[in-house]
This record gives sequence, structure tokens and C-alpha cells, in this order.
Amino acid sequence: MIVLFAAAIGILFGAGTFLMLKTDLLRVVVGMVLISHAANLTLMASGLTRGRAPIHPLPEETVSDPVVQALTLTALVIGFAVTALLLGIAYRVYTTHFAVDFDRLAAEEARREAELEREEVSV
Amino acid sequence: MLAALVWTDGPRELTTGGWPSGVGITLRADALSVVFALLTSGVLLVSLAHEVLDGVRSSRFPALVLFMATGLTGLFLTGDIFNFYVFFELAMIAAYVITGYGGEARQLGAAFVFAVVNLFGSFLFLIAVAAIYHVTGTLEMEEVAARIGDVEPGTVILIAVTVFVAFGVKLGLFPFHFWLPLVYASVRPAIAAILSGALANIGTYGVLRFGADILPRELELGAPALVTLGVVTIVYGALQAMSRRTASEVIAYSSIGQVGYVLIALAIGGPVGYAAAVLYAVVNAVNKALLFLATGLRGWLVGAAFFVGAISVAGIPPAAGFFGKLEVFRAAVEADRVALVALVFVGGALSVVYLLQIYQHDHWRPGSDGASREASPLALRALTVALAALVVGLGLWPEPILAASREAADALLRGAP
Repeated sequence: MIVLFAAAIGILFGAGTFLMLKTDLLRVVVGMVLISHAANLTLMASGLTRGRAPIHPLPEETVSDPVVQALTLTALVIGFAVTALLLGIAYRVYTTHFAVDFDRLAAEEARREAELEREEVSV
Repeated sequence: MLAALVWTDGPRELTTGGWPSGVGITLRADALSVVFALLTSGVLLVSLAHEVLDGVRSSRFPALVLFMATGLTGLFLTGDIFNFYVFFELAMIAAYVITGYGGEARQLGAAFVFAVVNLFGSFLFLIAVAAIYHVTGTLEMEEVAARIGDVEPGTVILIAVTVFVAFGVKLGLFPFHFWLPLVYASVRPAIAAILSGALANIGTYGVLRFGADILPRELELGAPALVTLGVVTIVYGALQAMSRRTASEVIAYSSIGQVGYVLIALAIGGPVGYAAAVLYAVVNAVNKALLFLATGLRGWLVGAAFFVGAISVAGIPPAAGFFGKLEVFRAAVEADRVALVALVFVGGALSVVYLLQIYQHDHWRPGSDGASREASPLALRALTVALAALVVGLGLWPEPILAASREAADALLRGAP
């Protein structure tokens, strides 16, 4: 089970990192989501015990660790909010630049720098 | 108020919701957290006042700053690792939105890069939290510090490295700095002041709390690596700053360099080293806030304020930066590290060069365009000058801040048996 968890986390994290290195903003956001889920899965996997659901009249056998579940739930919500925010920023970038591509943004930045440089020389 | 209580009675604890300790979430205030909380609130207040006086562009801005203040204060006062993460995200989300504030194309691009890089850092931290919980079975900082000694060293080192990388991204240390100049240079001055004067404190506090308080053994083990990184950071930051010409870019690179000193002081360790790290972090935050706020303004009063900030970063008395440098220097001397002492000097000299270059460029040269030569509104200038006066005041009467940093270092050492 631990090996399975480790493999899943590794694949998620790897795929997320791969996507994050792309130039397309949306892919970067999706990469971020995958990494956040890798982190959530790590939280789940770090639980100390496994067993039945920990609902109040506790059963005789071992219950699963409730702490990690609470943590993961919180982390999920935070991850969700952050994803929404990232998508929002990506959309704003799209409406101002008409591009969701880092290459285009970088080209624009380079053009601005060159302009600054020219001003500097002319002064 | 809370600061005064901590000062006289020692650490305070509060468990929320009336649950027994271990079930409820603990809030804990010791000298270190109080110093950082006060510092951050002060910087946020000044930056907010600056932006308000300059004319707020959007009604959301003050609310977001308050949101961030909540997150940061909570983060400094929490006694629970997972809560640390939650407050951390709270402050960061506000910061992402604030970075995009202004709505220009460049700022949006910067906000996106900032958000992605820092989220990556946050998730690494979350993974480290999970790992700590797995090996110690608790999330409370004190308990973790007590139990982590029994864990297999290899695992703990892995955790320590993950935590360090997570905070390194936040601080803009040398190998993780790439996002920082882009962001600081493209946002408005008040926001740059918030980011570098308040938000970067997360990184410093995190490294101090996790390094010195929770993982002292691993800190000692990693000290050579920290010193190397610190040295490279200082030299790299200074050289890059010298080659830049716009004021905000120079200061951005300079803030990369300044973090190196904190790292070196931390690596030297012991009461003197920790006190030096805390003091340097405090002084640096105030300096950076002053410099960034002063960059957007014009007029001779602001020139004087910028000059005070510059000599403070360079460590020339009577500015507060002198004592920051002096403490790092003392720590290095006590540890018999001649090379580090020399480096602190060289770093100081380089910062004089690049900051005065900017000073000359911005404040002495006749203006290329008439508009930017006109003095800025009086209220803004007065605010900047007041901050400069604070820097000089701390330099002239350093006892309170010295005592505060010693107290904070003591709190760290008490926590680490």
C-alpha cells in the first residue's frame, strides 16, 4: 500500500512539474493542481493508523487516523481557492495580452526593456 | 499589548475553542513571534498609509492588506505546524492578489509567476508537514521539537531540506531567487515594500523557527551548506545590483543579497548568531520598506530619506543597519571565521557602491522628463521621512531592539534542549 501511495505521489508530482515547465499558462495551472494533489495524497498517506471510519460510537477495531483527514480536507479547500485564483489571474492575463503563452509575454517584456535602454542612451 | 505581557511573563499559550491541549489548536506567543508580529504590522501599516495617501486605485486594496496582516500575525503566533501552513496560505493568497493590483499587463504577468513559484514552495512545505506528522505523530511545534530527536537522522534531514527549500523560495535565496526581481521591479512601490518588508519575514521567521527551534541538530549539520549559500547569495545579489540601473531592480537584487547575511548569522548559530539573525532581519525589513517607498517619490526630503536607507543597508552609523552588520560581525568573530568577517565588509562596500549609484542617478541628475522632477505630495514625503527618522532613531538608541533580539534568541534556545 505504501509503495502504491509513493508511486502515485511520484507520478502526480512528476507530471505536475513537467506541466509547470511548459509555456502555456493553462498547463502551468493544471500542473499546479496536480502538485497540490500530490501534497494532499502525501498528507493522507502520512496517517498513523488505518481502519474503520472514526465516527463517534467508536467501533472495537482500530479506526483510521482522523487528524490527517481533517488536514487533507483543509488543504483541499485551500488548493481549490488557490486554483480558482490562478485561473482568474490567467484569464486577466489573457484579456490584457490576448495570449496565454509565456513566450509571448517574455517577448513583450524584452521589447519594453529595449525601449528603456534606448531612452537611457538618448539621455 | 501582548508584546508587553510576553516581555514580563514569558511565553503565553492559548488553546482555541476551549478544547484540551492536543485537540484544540494552540496559539503561542514567545519573544521571537512577538518581535516579528510587531515588525510586520508596522511595515504593513506604513505601506498602507503610503498607498492611501497616494490615492488608492481600488477599494479592495486596504481590505487585502488587512487580510494579509491577519495571515501574517497568525502565522507568527501559531504553535501548530499545520496552522502555520494555513495562515501562510492566507497571507500568500492576499499577496498574489495584491501583486496583480494596478492591473497593468506587466503586473499581471508578475503576479502569475509569483503565484506559481510560491505555490510550489507552499506545497513542498505541506509535504514536509505531512512527513513531520508521520515521523513524530504530532503537529505541535514544542512536541515535534521534543520528539524529533528520536527519529532516524536520514529522514529528518530530508524533511529539513524540504522545509529549507520551501522557505528559500519565499525568501528569494540564491538558487531560488529568479522570480524575485521580476516581481519587485514591476509592482508599485508600496506593494514592493509590503512584499519585501512584511511578506519576506515569513521566510526569515520560518527558517529561524524550524531551523533553530525544531530542527537544531540538522541546522548544525547543514551549517556549512548554509554559509556557502549565504556567501553566494550576498556576492551574487551585490554584483547583479551593481549592473542594474532602475532603482527598483537594484533594490530587488539588493534584498536577495541581504538575506545572505541572515543565513550566515543563522548558520553560525548559538545565542549570538541567532540574536544577530533576528536583529538583521528586523533592520533589513525596515530598510527595504523605506527604500522601496522612497523610490517612487521625488524631492530633496525624499532624497535624504533614501540616503538614510542606503547608508543603513551599507551599515554605516548612525543608521540602524550599522547594528545589524555589527551583530553579524560579532557572531562571525566569535566563531573565528575570518573569511566571513571579510565578506561582511566586502558586501557592505558593494552595497554602498550600488545604492549611491542609484541615489546619484535618481536624485542628482537633471531630470530627463520635467514631470518626474516635481516634488511628490507633502504627506507622502513626511511619511517617508518619518520612517527614515525611525531608522536613524534605532541606530542612535539601539538598546530596545538589541534586547528584543537577544530575548528572541533566548526563546529559541530554550525551545531547543
